[in-house]
Amino acid sequence: MEYLGYLFAAYSVVWAVIFGYVLYMQRKQKRLQRQIEMLQKSVASQISHDK
Amino acid sequence: MNGRRNLINNLLFGLGLALMIAALYMVFMYVPTEKSMGIVQRIFYFHVSLAWVSFLAFLVTFVFSICYLRKRLLKWDYIAHASAEVGVVFTTLVLITGPIWAKTAWGIWWTWDARLTTSLVLWLTYIAYLLVRGYATEPARGARFGAVVGIVGFIDVPIVFLTVNVWRTQHPTTIIFTDGITAPMLMTLVVCIAAFTVLYVLLTAQGAGLKSLETSIKRLKIRRTG
Amino acid sequence: MSTFARIITIFWKDILTELRAREVVTSVLVFSLLVVVIFSFAFSTRIDTAELVAPGILWAALTFGGVLGFNHTFAVEKENSRLEGLMLCPVDRAVIYWGKLAGSFTFTMVVAIIITPIFLALFNLPLFLPRLLLVIGLASLGFAAVGTLFSAVAINTRARDIMLPVLFLPVVVPVVVAAVRATAVVLADKSWSDMLTWLQIMIAFDIVYLVVSTLVFDFVVEE
Repeated sequence: MEYLGYLFAAYSVVWAVIFGYVLYMQRKQKRLQRQIEMLQKSVASQISHDK
Repeated sequence: MNGRRNLINNLLFGLGLALMIAALYMVFMYVPTEKSMGIVQRIFYFHVSLAWVSFLAFLVTFVFSICYLRKRLLKWDYIAHASAEVGVVFTTLVLITGPIWAKTAWGIWWTWDARLTTSLVLWLTYIAYLLVRGYATEPARGARFGAVVGIVGFIDVPIVFLTVNVWRTQHPTTIIFTDGITAPMLMTLVVCIAAFTVLYVLLTAQGAGLKSLETSIKRLKIRRTG
Repeated sequence: MSTFARIITIFWKDILTELRAREVVTSVLVFSLLVVVIFSFAFSTRIDTAELVAPGILWAALTFGGVLGFNHTFAVEKENSRLEGLMLCPVDRAVIYWGKLAGSFTFTMVVAIIITPIFLALFNLPLFLPRLLLVIGLASLGFAAVGTLFSAVAINTRARDIMLPVLFLPVVVPVVVAAVRATAVVLADKSWSDMLTWLQIMIAFDIVYLVVSTLVFDFVVEE
């Protein structure tokens, strides 16, 4: 089993980096989600204010 | 419309998962071990697939950059941007898995061969692409500048490849397979490329969707605050 | 006015400004000379190794000097808000590109023509190498074609001094490689046929980037 470690390292790094990228997108999505919630609140408060 | 898009998305996910499992099975169980390099040669299948798909990603950025500059549809720009992002991620992986393989196969981490050098230059160019978009003083400018860099940078690829090829005429291809590429190896490679292409499409679609969402929210905010 | 006359007008404007202020050529010249000196120390160059490392040192100096110079190309217009004036000119944007290009190319050539003999003397190499002029001309044209375009991009970004080299250097890799190899051929006094491929690469690069930059420049400066 020569160099099995190298093979392991190569395949792990591929998935580690792809997971990292997915995580980056997820955080971006969460940030956008928070902004939508803020907008919803501001819309809701305006509607109750108008009544 | 939305339902059909969901269906396509689910189908792609299923296809991608099936292809990736098939690819892993073929890489580790099906394909015979290459004689001269041993087990490490199995890095080749993912490494080459990632290289092909990252090239495809930059090609997509190039094409959609031209479309964006001509028609100014924001949708084109989202795809170009997302594709470049995935391309950079995949090229990073190419540049990491390459040396791991080279170290055991040829005893060196790096050689200034045409393919390696071109990948490195591509990587640097598209990092510049992402930076220019990030640092542009306003998003509309970023989209235009990005498109220009996406076009100008991609045209450089054949010139860089040709130049380095003349400069360093050694080809590692001749050393990759002592007995030439066999049918099972080729089949494994094809399945791996297919699997990564589907992964690329999924990631790019996701990224482009996020960018579109980001813009809509920004517009809403501007309308709320006046 | 014909298109050519318009290009010449913009070109003359830059030349006159430079003749009065002497900002670009002087600073780039001093900077390039410093790069030569630093690299000679870094490689602890001796006479017997000079021919081996000299082409690399010369082109490292001219490349980094070029980046410094191209940073000026549009930054000067931006600082004094002359850019708006220039863009309001009733001319095609491509004319502005070619006018600025002619200026940058001239400055790069002037710096290279002064630096090269000094450099050759410092390394005890033969001074009279007319073929080197052709190499410098082709490489400078390639540098200027890309540099002028990216200079216009970089001025509209934050951290613009960093943005230009980050954009410029990866793209000009073929020119740097070809110029270094062609210079090595000239310094070794080998035949024309040995440098033909490198000259062809530079000519191809110059043509491709002059055409593409002319086409896309409009999108960089619109608004």
